[in-house]
Amino acid sequence: MKKRIAAFFLIIFLCFTVSAAAYAQEESNIDSGNGLRLADMADLLQESEEKALLALLDEMSERQQLDIVVVTANTLNGKTPMEYADDFYDYNDYGFGAQKDGVLLLVSMEDRDWWISTTGYGITAFTDAGITYIGEQFLPALGDGDYADAFTTFAQLCDKFITQAKTGEPYDKGSFPKEPFSFGANACIALVVGGFFAVITTTAMKGSLKSVRFHPTAADYVRSGSMQVTDAKELFLYTHIDRIKRQKESSSQGGGSTTHTSSSGMNHGGGGGKF
Amino acid sequence: MAGLQEYKCPCCGGAIAFDSTAQKMKCPYCDSEFEMEALASYDNELKNQQEDQMDWELSDNAQWQDGEANGLKTYVCESCGGEMIADENTAATSCPFCGNPVVVMGQFSGALKPDYVIPFKLDKKAAKEALHRHYGGKRFLPKVFQDQNHIDEVKGVYVPFWLFNADAAVNARFKTTRIQTWSDSDYYYTKTSYYAVTRGGSIGFERVPVDGSSKMADDLMESIEPFDFSEAVDFQTAYLAGYLADKYDVDAAQSMERANERIKKSAEQNFRQTVQGYASVIPEAMSVQLQNGKAKYALYPVWLLNTTWEGKQYTFAMNGQTGKMVGDLPLDKGAYRKWLFGLWAAASAVVFGISYLLWML
Repeated sequence: MKKRIAAFFLIIFLCFTVSAAAYAQEESNIDSGNGLRLADMADLLQESEEKALLALLDEMSERQQLDIVVVTANTLNGKTPMEYADDFYDYNDYGFGAQKDGVLLLVSMEDRDWWISTTGYGITAFTDAGITYIGEQFLPALGDGDYADAFTTFAQLCDKFITQAKTGEPYDKGSFPKEPFSFGANACIALVVGGFFAVITTTAMKGSLKSVRFHPTAADYVRSGSMQVTDAKELFLYTHIDRIKRQKESSSQGGGSTTHTSSSGMNHGGGGGKF
Repeated sequence: MAGLQEYKCPCCGGAIAFDSTAQKMKCPYCDSEFEMEALASYDNELKNQQEDQMDWELSDNAQWQDGEANGLKTYVCESCGGEMIADENTAATSCPFCGNPVVVMGQFSGALKPDYVIPFKLDKKAAKEALHRHYGGKRFLPKVFQDQNHIDEVKGVYVPFWLFNADAAVNARFKTTRIQTWSDSDYYYTKTSYYAVTRGGSIGFERVPVDGSSKMADDLMESIEPFDFSEAVDFQTAYLAGYLADKYDVDAAQSMERANERIKKSAEQNFRQTVQGYASVIPEAMSVQLQNGKAKYALYPVWLLNTTWEGKQYTFAMNGQTGKMVGDLPLDKGAYRKWLFGLWAAASAVVFGISYLLWML
C-alpha cells in the first residue's frame, strides 16, 4: 500500500516536474524585453544610439498612447518572424489600454527577416499596405546595415501614421504621405535635361552661321507633270503575329488590415519580409 | 586676238552699262536709257568696227604671249588706251584706269556662245544690304566682325552654268509592312503583314544647273539656287556691260556627273514618296536609267562679296536675281561658351523648379 502511495506521489511529482519543466521551457522560449520599448538582443546598435532611440520611442509612445517597440534578435528559436514578433509583444505585455494598442518592429539577423506586428488600435492605424509602405522606406537603410537610421525612420513614420489615423482616415493604398523631395536626384535630372536643351539650342544657333552647303537633290528642277508611275504593284508576302500577355490589373480596392490570432489568443495584424 | 567691246552711249559717247533696276542699258553720264533690242543691232555694228582694229592690237599682244604669262591676256582699253591684263577666261570686266565697263569679244563666239542669260535684277546696294541682313540675328557672330564690317570687294559676276535636261526611268522595289493590333482578355496581339511593293515609271528634269567655272566654289553656287529660269533671255553681250563675266572652263561632259547625281537622288525620293499607307517602307532595290538631253550654256547673275577677318577670307554670294544670300560666318567661341553654360544653368534651374512644383502638387 505504501509503495502504491509512493508510486502515486512519484507519478504526480513527475507529472508536475515535467509539466513545470515544459512550462519553464515555453517561458524561456520567449525572450524578455525587460519592459523596455527597445530590445537590442542582436546588439546592432551602439549604446548612445540605443539611448537616443529609446528616448524617441518612449516619447512618441507616451504622446500617442500607443506602444512603439523595436526588437532585434539573433535567433527566432525556430519560430516564424510573425510568431516571434506576436509572442514577444504578448508575453512582454506591451500595449496601451484594453486593446493593448501598439506596434512592434522585429529585425532578425538569423535569416535577415523583418516583421511589423500590430495590435489593437495599431491594426487600424497600420493597414497591410501601410506596413508595406513603411517597410519600403526603412529597408534601404536596413539593408545597408544602417540600423539606427532605419529604426529612427520607422519610429518617425509610426508617429506620422498614428497621427493620421486619429483623424479618422489612416494612411492606406493611394493615400500615403509624399516621399521627401529628393534634392540630389532631381538636381541630377535637371542638369542632364538642361544640358541637352543647352547643347541642342546652341548647336542650332551655331548652325545658323553656316549657309554654304551642297544641294543633294534636284527637287527644284522636276519638269512639272513629268512624273508618271506606270507600274505599281503590291505583293503580299507573309504575316507575323506577336502576342504579349496582358498584365492582370490588381484589384484597386482592398486596403485595410488583415488579422490573425497569435498563440496567446491575441488578435494581431502585421507584415514583413527580408532585407 | 580678241578685242574689247565697250558700249558707247549713242547720245554722249560715254561708256554705258546694264542697269538692273531699269532692266535696260543706261548711260551713267547723261542718264539716257536704251532698249536691249536697239542695242542688239548697235552691238552688231560695233562688232564689225572692231574687226578693223584687230591688226595693231594683235602685235601688242604678241609680245606678251612670247613671255611668261600663258594664262593671262592683255587688252587695250578703247577709252583711255590703258593696258589691262586679265585671266584667259575673263569675258567681261572694267578698265582699271578709267573704270569703263568692257566686254571681251571672242569669249562668247562660236561654240562658246551662251544660250541664255538671266540679267541682274538686284544692284550692288541690294547686295550690301543683304549682307547686313545676313549678319543679323546671329548671336554667335563675333561682334567685332560685324562692327568692322568692311567689305573688301563687291562684284557682280555672270557665272557660267551648264543646264542639263534629263529623263529618268525608275524601277524600284520596297519591302513594306502594315500593322494591326487588337487584344482579348488574355493577350495583346500585333499582326505585321509584309509586302513587296514595286514602282516603275519616269520623271523628267529640266535645266539642272551645274557651275561651269572652276573659280567658283561649287557648294557656294549650289547654295544660292534656285534661279528662276522664266526670266532668262537669249544671250546678248550687252547684258554683260558693267559686270564681270567668265567663260566656262569646266566642260559639259565633266559637269554632267554632278547633275546626274542630283537627278538620281531626286528620282529615288519622288518614287519613294508614292509608297504611302504603310507602317514602314524599306527600299530594297532601286535602278535609275538616265537619258540626258542636250546641255545648255547659260550665264546666271551672282553678287560676290569678299571680306577678310583675322587673316581668313570670307566669301559671300548673293543670287543676283532672287536676292538669296549665303556665306559661312566665323564663330565667336567666347559667346558660344557663355550661351552654352548660361542656357545649361537656366534650363537646369527651370527643370529643377518644375520638378519641385510637381512634387508639391
